[in-house]
Amino acid sequence: MPITHIHTYLVHPTKGSTNPPETGGTEVGRSGKMFDLLEGIYDRSETECDIAISFNHAASGNQQNDCRDLILTYLQGPTVRRGQHIAKRLADATTHRSHLGLLFLIAGQEGFDHKIVVSRFPADSGILAEESAGGLSVEFLEKVFMKSAKSYKSVMYRHRSFNTGFWEGKATDKQVNSLDISIPNYWIAEFLDSDFRTTSAAGTRRLANAIKEAGKKATRASVKSEIAAAATLATGFAGRKLSAKGFVRSLALSQAAQDAIYAELKSGVVDETFQFDAAEFGRVISYRSVELDNGGMLTAEVGDFDGVFQRQQLKDGDRIRFSTEGKIVSEKLGKAKQ
Amino acid sequence: MIEDQYRARHPRLVKAAAAIERQLREYLEGTPHIDRVSARAKSIDRFVVKANKNDENGFAKYSDPLSQIQDQVGARIVGFYLSDIEAISTVVKRYYRPIETKSLVPDTEWSFGYFGKHFILLMPTGLVDNRDEEPTPEFFELQIKTLFQHAWSEAEHDVGYKPGTNPLTSDEQRQLAFTAAQAWGADRIFEELSKR
Repeated sequence: MPITHIHTYLVHPTKGSTNPPETGGTEVGRSGKMFDLLEGIYDRSETECDIAISFNHAASGNQQNDCRDLILTYLQGPTVRRGQHIAKRLADATTHRSHLGLLFLIAGQEGFDHKIVVSRFPADSGILAEESAGGLSVEFLEKVFMKSAKSYKSVMYRHRSFNTGFWEGKATDKQVNSLDISIPNYWIAEFLDSDFRTTSAAGTRRLANAIKEAGKKATRASVKSEIAAAATLATGFAGRKLSAKGFVRSLALSQAAQDAIYAELKSGVVDETFQFDAAEFGRVISYRSVELDNGGMLTAEVGDFDGVFQRQQLKDGDRIRFSTEGKIVSEKLGKAKQ
Repeated sequence: MIEDQYRARHPRLVKAAAAIERQLREYLEGTPHIDRVSARAKSIDRFVVKANKNDENGFAKYSDPLSQIQDQVGARIVGFYLSDIEAISTVVKRYYRPIETKSLVPDTEWSFGYFGKHFILLMPTGLVDNRDEEPTPEFFELQIKTLFQHAWSEAEHDVGYKPGTNPLTSDEQRQLAFTAAQAWGADRIFEELSKR
């Protein structure tokens, strides 16, 4: 059995509180229905936790992070007391908007690797209905913890070395997955003092390069056109937390266009979450447009513009003749310029 | 034993270094005053020497050198002037996740020696194929230096750590400190002149 210890804590939202209550905790036995539920969470964390994150270093620049230290201390000798420091850290990062939560620390050993899953279940209210011989009894429950709730959060760390490992983890945060940028990211940024493993600029550039290359290599006009449209719409994703796969899917691209973009991305990075950076996208894919006084407009990628359109200065003052040659791959009608 | 293990992973480190160098060049495109960008896999000899080092108490410094030595892949960016170091650092932080950031300076204001900015960065994902059994290290080291910092550290390393020679005398060490002070002064003057 890989799970070695489970501890649980009732975490009150105490951020900004001057007199926070003590965070109570207890050990959970390694058998029974509760254990079966938690064992499922522990096992599924390998796939369910799909947001790659890494701890921030200390403000001094040293290779140190307070939250990582607490997790490592706990993992090297899991006790209620040691886990309580993690629970307190979570309470201090939790505002009243997030309500009460039930925290589970599930420690285990997977071969040479040490592993921990940290999960927070939000509190909700519910009704307990029990059938008996004579009928039905109902009871209102105030502290019900449901994994299916919108704000369920979890993080998994796994490494063989306590010394140099555990800088990277995999998290799941249904609020992050919602792509709603207005939701404060207290789980990853505040409690874990972490950030996405892939920076905004790196993730965006990788996606932009893939779109650019896919567009260049596409042979079918319809696929080329779809990819060009995706590039044009990309700026609308500014600030959104997404993966390359999320980006492609949200634009409902055809399978051929999706495949063309995925083919330009190395395996394992398609699902990596990052925050879309529109300025970075523009550094890779940007178009230059020239408008003439006869109503004509010429557009091409910045780096290619002068190669695509040949420019000839005419004798007649400032008049220019542009010429180009190619096959028509798409033709569009748009709104008249206001 | 450790030499064999490192030798086995060395070809992957060479690939990773080449990929890091290409990536850094792409990210730094358009950044002015870059003299050079380079990355290398630590040589097998140097790794073995480092892996067998003792700490000040005479105990082995590394219990698991393959995961503890973080400069198995090392990269260096050399910029012209002091202010370029910050500009380059800003670009680096935009694309990579650091687990350590250090500005290395001599211990006291009265001494001169090594200056430079060092990062330990997470190895970017998707850079090299990780399907093989042997994983790429999780980190790499990046040094950012001015031309004078780079020139001084290269020459100092050459004369100060020459194998088979006696350690430098006190006077020779003072001479090295003198050259470090001159490099420090040259950086200051060129920084001022570059802003004219």
